[in-house]
Amino acid sequence: MNSIHWFARLKILLRGDPEQMFAELLRSDRRAMIDYCLIICVGCGLYGFTVGIWRAPVQSLYTALKFPLLIFLTAAGNGLLNGMLAQVLGSGLSFRQTFLAVLMSFAIAAVILGGLSPVTLLVVLNAPPLGSDRNVTGHSVVLLTHVFLIAYAGILANRHLLRLLTRSSGGYGQARRILLSWLAGNLLLGSQLAWVLRPFFGSPRLAVQFFRHDPLRGNFYEAVGHALIRVFF
Amino acid sequence: MNIPPNPPKPPPVLSSRRQLVFEPMTGDLTPALLLETLLKRPGQIIYDLFHARKAALLAWLFVLGILGVSLYGVVVGAQAGREQIMIAPAKLGLAAFLSMLICLPSLYIFTALDGIDAEIRGISGSLFAAVCLCAILLVGFAPVAWIFSQSTDSVLFMGTLHLVFWAIGIRFGLRLIEAMSRFLGGHSTSHLKVWSAIFILVCLQMMTALRPIITTSATFFPVEKKFFLVQWWDCLTGTVDKGN
Repeated sequence: MNSIHWFARLKILLRGDPEQMFAELLRSDRRAMIDYCLIICVGCGLYGFTVGIWRAPVQSLYTALKFPLLIFLTAAGNGLLNGMLAQVLGSGLSFRQTFLAVLMSFAIAAVILGGLSPVTLLVVLNAPPLGSDRNVTGHSVVLLTHVFLIAYAGILANRHLLRLLTRSSGGYGQARRILLSWLAGNLLLGSQLAWVLRPFFGSPRLAVQFFRHDPLRGNFYEAVGHALIRVFF
Repeated sequence: MNIPPNPPKPPPVLSSRRQLVFEPMTGDLTPALLLETLLKRPGQIIYDLFHARKAALLAWLFVLGILGVSLYGVVVGAQAGREQIMIAPAKLGLAAFLSMLICLPSLYIFTALDGIDAEIRGISGSLFAAVCLCAILLVGFAPVAWIFSQSTDSVLFMGTLHLVFWAIGIRFGLRLIEAMSRFLGGHSTSHLKVWSAIFILVCLQMMTALRPIITTSATFFPVEKKFFLVQWWDCLTGTVDKGN
């Protein structure tokens, strides 16, 4: 079978036509996997750069490296589990196809975030800097912008993935169950990996580092729990 | 029996938003024809951008868009007078250019998300056409803005008036982007609506980043970084520093 150019592959992802995406999945050649990985590297790398730049230029380089790394580690770490869930829930997809489908959805989010990175860069460059009186406003606006855009990209990517799963499994209900099971696994592992790989944004009160001194100490859920206790009690 | 002749067919209606006629442009491409077509038959511009693929059309749309915005900038700067008559057009032209540059990648991605398979060249042309249409309308508003700028010293009032004129212009410009989506068979415009909101926010922030545009300042660029909402609030409450 003829291989598709990476740009045509990118268009297929963005348009989200389930038939074309399913054909991609059936082909599942090595070239496709490499292309999706490159798309994730570039898209998430560009966006990661704009995430870290408000804190410091060095932090932006660290985040540009760590953001794609987080995606790959999440996809790889859950690869086996996602493949099993897909088969148990009747998606009709092999382990390789499941991994490719997850990579496709991450690639969609990466393209959207990469395309929006000039916008976030503008926001960051116009945010009051750390040393100014209005740094709290700057921090909040930049943080909210990133939360909104990452959520938007994630929702779109999962909508396209749902369409693909509906096509492959033959039913919407089944596709939804598979997607939810994948999302639960990815959220569980992804949030902990993000905790281990912190800092991404970079706290204004802490030093700029690639990893914190004790990256494996504690976990994401404990930190959220402690934060909630501090707020309410 | 005499058979009555067939009555002539009425000309197609071109004015309605839903009935934009997408057909080739007629005549040689000149700036005057381009501006007239953009106002009266924008469907022809969209058609030529994706079918005729003339580089000159793209270039003219870009140049006329930046020139039009800069021309309006002369009126914006006229209130303060002196060097601001030169600075305001330069800043507004730069703001239009940078806003297009920042939003072009996301426009391409968001059109693809709406199910459209289009070339980046045509998408760029549509964005240039949208800004150009906005610029033409701003030039049309320029005499009105100038009259007001000469009769008031209130920066707040003039700022609001310029924003209202710009909002009207950009509304028509963004309709052109929607028309492009329909022309290319997009199944929805929901993502383009999100992009339109992003483009508007980028333009507003860009104007804040390059302030002051209406009043004079000791420095070309502002010394303090601000978001546009904070800047507007400071203007409303009168806490804005001179030159910021």
